[in-house]
Amino acid sequence: MTGSSPVGHRALEGVRVLDLGGEISNYCGRMFAQLGAEVILVEPVAGSSYRMSLPQAARSGDSLRFAYDNADKRSIGVDLATEEGREVLRRLASTADLLLDDRTEHSLAQHGLDYELLLQEFPDLIATAITPFGLDGPYADFVATDATCLAFGGMLWLGGYDDGPPVQAAGRQAFRAGSLFGAVASMSALVAPERHRGELIDVSVQECVSLGLENAVQFYDLEGRVRRRHGGQQKQAGFGAFPCADGYVFLIAGGIGGNRFWQHFVDWMKSEGVEGAESLEESRWWDRPYVEGDEAKSRFWDLFTGYAMTRSKKQLLESAMRWNVPLSPVMTVAEVHGSAQLRERGFFVQTEVGGAVADTAGPPYQLSETPWHSARPAPQLGEQTAEIMRELGFTPAETADWKVRGAIA
Amino acid sequence: MKRVLEGVRVVDFSWVGAGSYATKILADLGADVIKIESSQKVDGLRLSPPFAGGESGVNRSGYFADRNTSKRSMLLNLKSPGALDIALRLMERADIVCNNFSPGVMERLGLGYEAVAERNPRIVYLSMSMHGGYGPDHQARGYGATMSAVTGFHHLSGLPGLMPTGTGTNYPDHIPNPGHAAFALLAALRHARATGVGQSIDMAQTEAMLATLGPEILDWTVNGHDRPPAGNTTEGYLWQDVLPSRGEDEWIAISTPAETHWSALMDVLGLDGERHPARDADAVAAAVATFDNTLLTERLQARGVPAAPVLSPVEVIEDPQLNHREHWRRLPHAEMGDTLYNGQPFSFRHSVAQPIASAPLLGEHTDEICAEILELTPEEIAHLRRTDVLT
Repeated sequence: MTGSSPVGHRALEGVRVLDLGGEISNYCGRMFAQLGAEVILVEPVAGSSYRMSLPQAARSGDSLRFAYDNADKRSIGVDLATEEGREVLRRLASTADLLLDDRTEHSLAQHGLDYELLLQEFPDLIATAITPFGLDGPYADFVATDATCLAFGGMLWLGGYDDGPPVQAAGRQAFRAGSLFGAVASMSALVAPERHRGELIDVSVQECVSLGLENAVQFYDLEGRVRRRHGGQQKQAGFGAFPCADGYVFLIAGGIGGNRFWQHFVDWMKSEGVEGAESLEESRWWDRPYVEGDEAKSRFWDLFTGYAMTRSKKQLLESAMRWNVPLSPVMTVAEVHGSAQLRERGFFVQTEVGGAVADTAGPPYQLSETPWHSARPAPQLGEQTAEIMRELGFTPAETADWKVRGAIA
Repeated sequence: MKRVLEGVRVVDFSWVGAGSYATKILADLGADVIKIESSQKVDGLRLSPPFAGGESGVNRSGYFADRNTSKRSMLLNLKSPGALDIALRLMERADIVCNNFSPGVMERLGLGYEAVAERNPRIVYLSMSMHGGYGPDHQARGYGATMSAVTGFHHLSGLPGLMPTGTGTNYPDHIPNPGHAAFALLAALRHARATGVGQSIDMAQTEAMLATLGPEILDWTVNGHDRPPAGNTTEGYLWQDVLPSRGEDEWIAISTPAETHWSALMDVLGLDGERHPARDADAVAAAVATFDNTLLTERLQARGVPAAPVLSPVEVIEDPQLNHREHWRRLPHAEMGDTLYNGQPFSFRHSVAQPIASAPLLGEHTDEICAEILELTPEEIAHLRRTDVLT
């Protein structure tokens, strides 16, 4: 390749993204920003509702959720109910490659800026709407939270207790799923040949959640069996969480990849002289109906917990690595933060939140040529309004006047 | 209609969960994804239930099928001496290489990033092992469920005071890891196209999962709060729960973020508006238990209260919204017949972004790939098969 390169050391240099959303789409915007795109958070003039989301920094009251999802973005406040606010959004859209929205912060359609019209006016724009149910269909206008999206997408059914309620996944994973698939879909449109430019991408969080059903739908379709939650129990003998001396470990001795780790596990137990270890060599441990039954689960439980209760999480992990058996300690967040593995890889990076400096989750991927990078904390409302207005060609007088009139913030 | 990733070629060494799900997205978006397999050691998912008609076989797993739509399958026995050259020639003609082996496996096969980049400097080369390519635990074995454990995610998902439950699935394999992996690949592809420079990507699956838990980590590093499982509540909401409704194992999720939602809920349940979530949980549960979950959802939605029936796999398949969106797709397969697949969770206005073909049979496309891409003659292909390379 000859000539000067349009991109430098950032994979997404030169990509401009408007993030008009909140709790659903902001993580998507973060992903773009940290690979080098310029991402502008376009908030309502009163500030994003996501700024109120818990948990907060105890001292300053800043939302940690908002701070994390909006790192490395700039902020401008815009009131789309005003002519001036709409003018600012149009000017922003004319400079952008990608517009993200989740309909939690602005009502674009109500102000004559629905996606269709935006795409007519800006034919090169990619507009990605990440909404709970997608833009059409019988539920399109249903209200939703992360938990109700997990319920409608089927994941909630699979999580929770065998003899108790379904339990939601932690960390607002339905909205995370929307952001992740929204990011992939948007990125694919960005790398498409020019002729594909100008695209409306309609992402349904409910559908994203249903991608997390593992094989439950196929189990019903192919074998007529309905998978159910099994928390607190083994999924099959040798697959599940087990208590040990200082907490729990998650063990996958059987039931994956054609049972390829079973013999490793048996050898481990035999080497430790665990009572009854030889019985694990019986052929019925390879028989699907047997290992899915109560007798096998109960025998496995007694055998393994008898051993595990005398060992710590750390000791069990060391042995499992030696015997090549998939096992992980069930860690708390504080234990994760102390992980030697994560520290050696430099996973935690520092950020500023609420006037203090603290460790935060770092790169989800290490790219050798165009590294993931985080340079600045989440913006205050309208922190970059003046510079963004200047870049868009508005005069300082217009900016000041429109601020006073509440069209921008 | 066009497909956005037309013209992108992926040589896919990934197997089992997250890797195959990442390349499936690319394949459904139009990339030519060539899954390298061997009958000497087949992808474990091909051996994993459920099977069509309950009858096992390498071309009968629904678990495998759903993760491998729109791909082509090529047999290549990487343990045979002749395979290395074939693999490298294929990668010379590719944009992306993906693997989720344990660290060091590709290098030992002579297929590490350096070896491939020497032949094709534009290559984007993703390795997505459990812990990444280095670090004290990098050789630990794992799958989605153990990644949930080691990232704190399993601990955080459950009822306070009870043994945590997690999601009951290998969740990181399904959404966080394929999502992050596919995004990084496409971002690096953009860079490679613009500069002619490829790169290697080391994605620790644990780290991609952890990236979704940033706020929970900040709660510890900023506030010193080592979070317990949250149960079915959401912090900051006035109230939220998952409660039994009328029928056997029927449940409903209801959120009342603010007072207005709570008042509407009381109204719909026919309860006194003075009731309070902290004091009257039992009364609410008793009232909810008299309702059908779909009916109660409709009534609450009409009042602007977020609510949803907890859909079982059967109900998800029948769900009117998912059907309106054509999320479930029946695709024909030579051995399995017409079976059910997830579509991609998005639609594009001007492009096709959905599975176009069911999962490939083991080695189904070996000959056509050898002929079209490697320009081998039928005699050469036959020779490679006889010498245990294309097996």
